[in-house]
Amino acid sequence: MKIRYFIIRRLVLMVPTLIGLTLFTFVLLYSLELTHETQLVSQYINPHSKDIAAQLRKAKIALGLNLSFPQQYILFLERLVNGTWGFFPTQFPMFGGLPVLEGIEKSLPNTVQLAFFATLLSVILSIPIGTYIGARPNSVSDNVGRVFSLVGYAFPVFVLGILLQLLFSRAGVVPRLIGVTGLPIGGTMPTFTSPPSWFRAGTTYPTHIPILDGILNGDFSFSWGAFIYVILPVLTITYGLLAGLLRFIRSGMVDSLSQEYVKTARSKGVPESWVIRTHVRRNAMIPAITVMVLAFAALLGGVVVVEDIFSYHGMGLLALNSVLDFAPYGVLSTTFFFGIIIVIANLVVDVIYALLDPRIRY
Amino acid sequence: MVEAELSKSEQHDELAKEIQENNVVVKNLKTYFFTSKGIVRAIENLSLSIRRGEVYGLVGESGSGKSVTATSIIDLIPDPPGRVLDGDVYINGFNIYSDLDKLVKVKIKSPTNVKVKHYKTSLRRHNKVLSSIRGKWVSMIFQEPFLSMNPVLTIGFQLTEPILLHNLTDLISSLVRLETFSKKNALKVAEAILGEPDYQKRSNIVDQFILDYSLYSVKKYIKQTAENISDPEQMATEFVDIAQTAKLGLKVEKYARMRDYFRLSDRVDDLQLKLVSIEGEIKRIRRRIQELSASSPAGSDELRKMRNYLDTRTSQSEKETLQIKEEIKRAKEQMRRVYPALYFKRILSKRVRDKNIRMAAEKRAIEFLELVNIPAPEAIMNSYPHELSGGMLQRSMIAMALSSSPKVLIADEPTTALDVTTQAQILNLINRVIDKRRGQSVLFITHDLAVIAEMCDRVGVMYGGNLVEEAPLEKLFKNAKHPYTIGLMNSIPRHDVKVDKAARLESIPGSVPNLIDPPTGCRFHPRCKFRMDICSEKKPALVEIEPEHKVACFLYSDEVEESVELEE
Amino acid sequence: MDLTVEATLESEIVSRKHPRVEDFISTLKVFVKNRIALAGLIIVVIYAIIAILDWVYPAYLGIKSGFDLSDALVTFHMSTYLGKPILYPSPITGSLIPFTIGVSYGVPPYGSGAIITLIPPTLHGPTNTPGWWWIFGSTAYNLPIFPVMLASLKWDLTYTVVIVLIGAAIGTIVGTFAGFYGGATDEAIMRVTDIFFSIPFLVLAMAILYVMGVSINNVLLALIIIWWPIYARLTRGQALSVKANKFVEAATASGSSRIRTMFVHILPNVLAPVFVQISLDLGTVIALFATLDFLGFHYTSIYLPELGNMITWGDQTRYLFATPMNWWPFLIPALFLVIFTIAVNLLGDGLRDVLDPKLRR
Repeated sequence: MKIRYFIIRRLVLMVPTLIGLTLFTFVLLYSLELTHETQLVSQYINPHSKDIAAQLRKAKIALGLNLSFPQQYILFLERLVNGTWGFFPTQFPMFGGLPVLEGIEKSLPNTVQLAFFATLLSVILSIPIGTYIGARPNSVSDNVGRVFSLVGYAFPVFVLGILLQLLFSRAGVVPRLIGVTGLPIGGTMPTFTSPPSWFRAGTTYPTHIPILDGILNGDFSFSWGAFIYVILPVLTITYGLLAGLLRFIRSGMVDSLSQEYVKTARSKGVPESWVIRTHVRRNAMIPAITVMVLAFAALLGGVVVVEDIFSYHGMGLLALNSVLDFAPYGVLSTTFFFGIIIVIANLVVDVIYALLDPRIRY
Repeated sequence: MVEAELSKSEQHDELAKEIQENNVVVKNLKTYFFTSKGIVRAIENLSLSIRRGEVYGLVGESGSGKSVTATSIIDLIPDPPGRVLDGDVYINGFNIYSDLDKLVKVKIKSPTNVKVKHYKTSLRRHNKVLSSIRGKWVSMIFQEPFLSMNPVLTIGFQLTEPILLHNLTDLISSLVRLETFSKKNALKVAEAILGEPDYQKRSNIVDQFILDYSLYSVKKYIKQTAENISDPEQMATEFVDIAQTAKLGLKVEKYARMRDYFRLSDRVDDLQLKLVSIEGEIKRIRRRIQELSASSPAGSDELRKMRNYLDTRTSQSEKETLQIKEEIKRAKEQMRRVYPALYFKRILSKRVRDKNIRMAAEKRAIEFLELVNIPAPEAIMNSYPHELSGGMLQRSMIAMALSSSPKVLIADEPTTALDVTTQAQILNLINRVIDKRRGQSVLFITHDLAVIAEMCDRVGVMYGGNLVEEAPLEKLFKNAKHPYTIGLMNSIPRHDVKVDKAARLESIPGSVPNLIDPPTGCRFHPRCKFRMDICSEKKPALVEIEPEHKVACFLYSDEVEESVELEE
Repeated sequence: MDLTVEATLESEIVSRKHPRVEDFISTLKVFVKNRIALAGLIIVVIYAIIAILDWVYPAYLGIKSGFDLSDALVTFHMSTYLGKPILYPSPITGSLIPFTIGVSYGVPPYGSGAIITLIPPTLHGPTNTPGWWWIFGSTAYNLPIFPVMLASLKWDLTYTVVIVLIGAAIGTIVGTFAGFYGGATDEAIMRVTDIFFSIPFLVLAMAILYVMGVSINNVLLALIIIWWPIYARLTRGQALSVKANKFVEAATASGSSRIRTMFVHILPNVLAPVFVQISLDLGTVIALFATLDFLGFHYTSIYLPELGNMITWGDQTRYLFATPMNWWPFLIPALFLVIFTIAVNLLGDGLRDVLDPKLRR
């Protein structure tokens, strides 16, 4: 019961951050109006019309570019809430001419797929390994773990991605050495010669998540095919994420191990494995779980580089293409969307932490 | 219960007698800490005994080594910096450190560069042995209650942990007994109660009845029945009815099998301890031989006798070891037959997942909370440590420590972190709760002489890592011998000794010795008023100058302690 | 008796050195013992020396002063013979090297207007290239990779250092200010940093660069804007805990003005984690910098010798030729980058190990 009040309190605290986020996005928009006015308006103009100047004027008034700063801000907020987040320019690859929200709707699930598998793999690996290493500080395994984390943490993501492509893709070293087909260099999902009903306009239905939709629609070979495309990007992301998580869990374990209550537990005759698994790990895991949730959210924010290297059509690639191909509403919308995701994730993390740690009062 | 194996030619061996009679016997304990600033010689050559049913106080300033002594007794020394290097600690007759030299190897290259090599398998076995002793025969309570309890686990969880670990068989037996409680059992109990004229003993029988059958939930009614009814038949019928309401309707057969399984498991544990103690005994004999050959001339009678004894004992012990191992194997096979599922599950995790057993453990934990005067124990069971006050938390720690009826309770400055009124409550509690008649003893560590005066039967005074004086309470306060003790006594206001009004409180000049580089000879000599030349050269041994009164000072005896070198 | 005791105490005092110096020496000793961190430090120092040399005295490294890859472009245009070797002055070293026009496959790598085509990189490099670095092969425009790497270090490191130091400076002052003054200013500043934390760095950088346009100054500005909140948050937390110490109260009680307290008492105690963070951020920022270049945000021109740029070129060429020899243009810049980031992280880790327990004291 009391957790409800906690959530409401945190929601209230979230409001200024949300306002700040909208303000920031709006400031970007406003500065775009000052610098790239034509881009903003160009998609509303018929390029073949005779009187472009008049069209420009009309479009500007329609968009509200002649209003003052506060008035435009209110207009911006209205549009935000309404769901009219703008359009992609007609020449935009894949989503040209479509509303931005639709582009997001179709790109986000792919990123969800990536984020889900990457987080899952990192969590499954990091908990047992982190516990093992954390219980043996300064041992051989600990040093190996530290070196692994260090290298993983420091390795620039795009280098790792390209390296994996070089090694494991269809023309790469390992498949040619072993003689297997190898993983695809890039792409989001397998193509169809004759697309079924649940595959239209380049994405799958109902949930737009390729692997899930394949399962829901009974076509497991499609799911498997989609999974193949996901493997290399997930591995790229997982290495860095795992390194970070391992380091975090390890230091949490070492911290907990040096606490007094471990001594008490041992003095009660609790066997060592129990001490580590129950007493030490429970304390060390609480911050670690929050980090994992945050990592998932951050990944949703689109791992731009990985999606670029593997031509994986997710939110990150959408953002990148918006910037490189001059789709101003795309840029603004994706930036805002990423912000919202992380703000919500922070709220979720705070609630989870409060639920897990009995010392937090609510 | 493991008793030290005595043989005929050793019956007069003082050590063996001591081990048998006392709860804890510490001999020549040595603990060092290897830090980056040098080797801290926390305790060297420390020996003391804690008798049955006594409260032994260990007093000294901070840094005198009293906490280290306590933690060394159950080997809780944090291993990266520290290590118990030498000595024997006999708890309930069993030597914890019988395999001490097999555990680590210390290579000292320089005071700041020490390499400690750990032998993992022997350490693991050592820790397993320790786990079965800690909490069962000896338990410990600590100074800071808030830091010593795990903040993310409920009090209930932490309380039931030792119960489920050490008293599992009792719990299950009592459950089974409850389910099979018949009129016949009730009649027997009723007759026992009514046949006892003494009120106190009668209520003891009632309490035992409740404990045996795990009847906590209906305790009130049982007690009422025991007091009001005088006819055994009627009482028995009442008991049966009351027990009927408390019965849980369990599958008796399953729990009976579980009980047998755990009985066998306890037997296996005892046997394994016996194995370790046999090894330890052999080692003790060998060491005795070494001592003898060092002190007495070679070829002496006693030396020869000991050597013969060693040979006979070695072959005997080999046979015994084989026997015991056979028995263990047989017991394990029986365990597997009795309850195979449990056998395999226990290898993975020792956590007990059965709801009924957990509930029984919780009820027992509530009993202990009531014993330590905690109001509303059910609510406390579900609370977290930070929700309680310091006093309540310390009391639950005491309940936790006593829940498996250990022989020794080690209390490491339990009241230092509490305010004075709570302090009094806790001290009174400890006095009330310790069952001296059953032989429970307490090792009470503090720096506060007033607390010592309140609680203890015998007192040991520590300074600079050594025990410098040991005496019964009255003797120490009235007739302290060691200059340090005298200084301590003179530095507190005393109302039991006539003092000149104009006299001021004395303070001992100087400061506590640095244990990395302690003073030569007697460690107190730089601050001692009565210092002699010999004090800076040789170290005085702890000698009994009066019955029950030991002092380590050249003022009273000439015995010298052999200097301890940095070997290994 | 009392005389002897006092005498010992006095001699103890005399023989002790000044506490700050003693502290520093012991810290150094602890740091040096950690050999991995030491290795990191050495590598970072080597990189720094190369970068500094490049600014001051490029000839030492065998690089022409003011080197820019577009010089190669110019000479490329000048060649009109097919198949016949042409001698031209190397844009890097200035000495004459033979120059071959290769066959071009595939798509021009960047934007419109590029008439360039890539020359297949070879493992051997131009035969007359002076120096032993032919083993690293050559990249586009037949430029030997190794000297280009050395030249590129200058740009990467300089920009990274500028970004991190300025960001750290601004962030530290703002954060200490917020933590010390507390109240509404603290809340406001925290909300502002919240915004910067709720959008991933890369996306934020992309958005800002989109609005401001891509140029080297804009990139520096954008990254500095993105980076200072980290330090603000960090120092604010530290300042809060330092503020709780008694000596701060004592300083205010003895008449120190608020600004003076902030700078003299709080700031020095806040700096330790800042240094650790700076050393770690060097690695992060250089990777971010390279990433942006890799994604297509070219700072001055596409010819800036910069690690990310070079990796892009390497990435392009490998599509064209599926033999391992053509990985060199990708691997070598990648290796330079990775070694630097790992070394920086080792250094940061070592610093943290050294400074942290001191903080706890």
